[in-house]
Amino acid sequence: MRIQFCMNAAFTALTLISLVILTITAPAEAFPTLIGGVQDAIKLALKLAAIYAVWLSVLKMMQATGIDKKLSRAVRPFVRRLFKKESDEAYDWISVNLASNMLGMGGVATPAGIKAISAMDRGDIRATDNMILLLIINATSIQLIPATVIAIRAAAGSEDASSVFLPTLISTAVSTLSGIILCKTLSLKDKNRNGGLMPKIGAIKPDFKQQKRQK
Amino acid sequence: MSKYILPVLLILLIVFCILKRVKVYDCFLGGAKESLQLTKTIFPYIAAIFVCLAAFKASGISQQISEWLRTPLSYLGIPSEITEIILLVPLSGNGTIALLESIIGEYGVDSYPARCAAVISGATETIFYISAVYFSACKAKKLRYAIPVALFCTFLGTVVACALCRVM
Repeated sequence: MRIQFCMNAAFTALTLISLVILTITAPAEAFPTLIGGVQDAIKLALKLAAIYAVWLSVLKMMQATGIDKKLSRAVRPFVRRLFKKESDEAYDWISVNLASNMLGMGGVATPAGIKAISAMDRGDIRATDNMILLLIINATSIQLIPATVIAIRAAAGSEDASSVFLPTLISTAVSTLSGIILCKTLSLKDKNRNGGLMPKIGAIKPDFKQQKRQK
Repeated sequence: MSKYILPVLLILLIVFCILKRVKVYDCFLGGAKESLQLTKTIFPYIAAIFVCLAAFKASGISQQISEWLRTPLSYLGIPSEITEIILLVPLSGNGTIALLESIIGEYGVDSYPARCAAVISGATETIFYISAVYFSACKAKKLRYAIPVALFCTFLGTVVACALCRVM
């Protein structure tokens, strides 16, 4: 599945069908709806910019004090076992991505995730098994503290706002674990089909020198 | 209790910065600068998803589809009040939060559907958005089995979440 093609097809089809129905049922609302959508996007982008500004500053402080290295070293053995044969740079970013995700720092996790995927890039059009694994771990959400949801529940006057904490934790654990298991089985199956070889182009691995991203 | 965790961690971090003689002000300037660049890169993706989603919701298709899914989902123990949130979860994080608030408003914050919706919002991610953004800066564009697996596992987590909300 090619994401660009997929998004193009899905976007065009969904928007077209919705527009046709809108034109039949409420033609006057078609354009205001689309513009309202972008307005919401701008609101979200502003909110995200604010969140990123704070969290990226926190990340900068963590980098400057060297805490990020310690944190990523704590998850490093686990990361190494899950993602085999990657460069040190990729391991660094994957560790930051997973650690910040677990702590609910989505603002840090996203940039680190983009950099991790780029570091695993081998110029092949097919995503490697490791890229997909990272995507699936992220997509099944490994957050330990659902801070936003608890804040919303508290604001709505819940008797015990953090009571959702444990069910959330178990639910994400189930989805992430099943994701990792499925991912590993599917990639094994793929390898067997290729006669036990690694994907042909992916086998030539560029030699990443151990890069320090912060001197 | 958990609301203290993040602020306390930040205070500890700043204290640690002072001990290590790191310039906190400079760190903030750098973070604020990078945040705008990052937002600029991901804005087109957000805008596209939001336009599509706005049309999808306004046309009434999303209500119609959740209407159809209501019965099959109820066999899996998923309350019918939250089918729309399940549809929206892989597409839009903010849409999910907005729906969560409307479910809380309608059924009460400690009701069973509202708790299910809360767990689902906390335990899921916007799969399509993440895939588009994470792969925006690299050459690999064929995601193979990634999205079906992610959708299936998220759904599995949802079924577990609804079952847990009954007993916990």
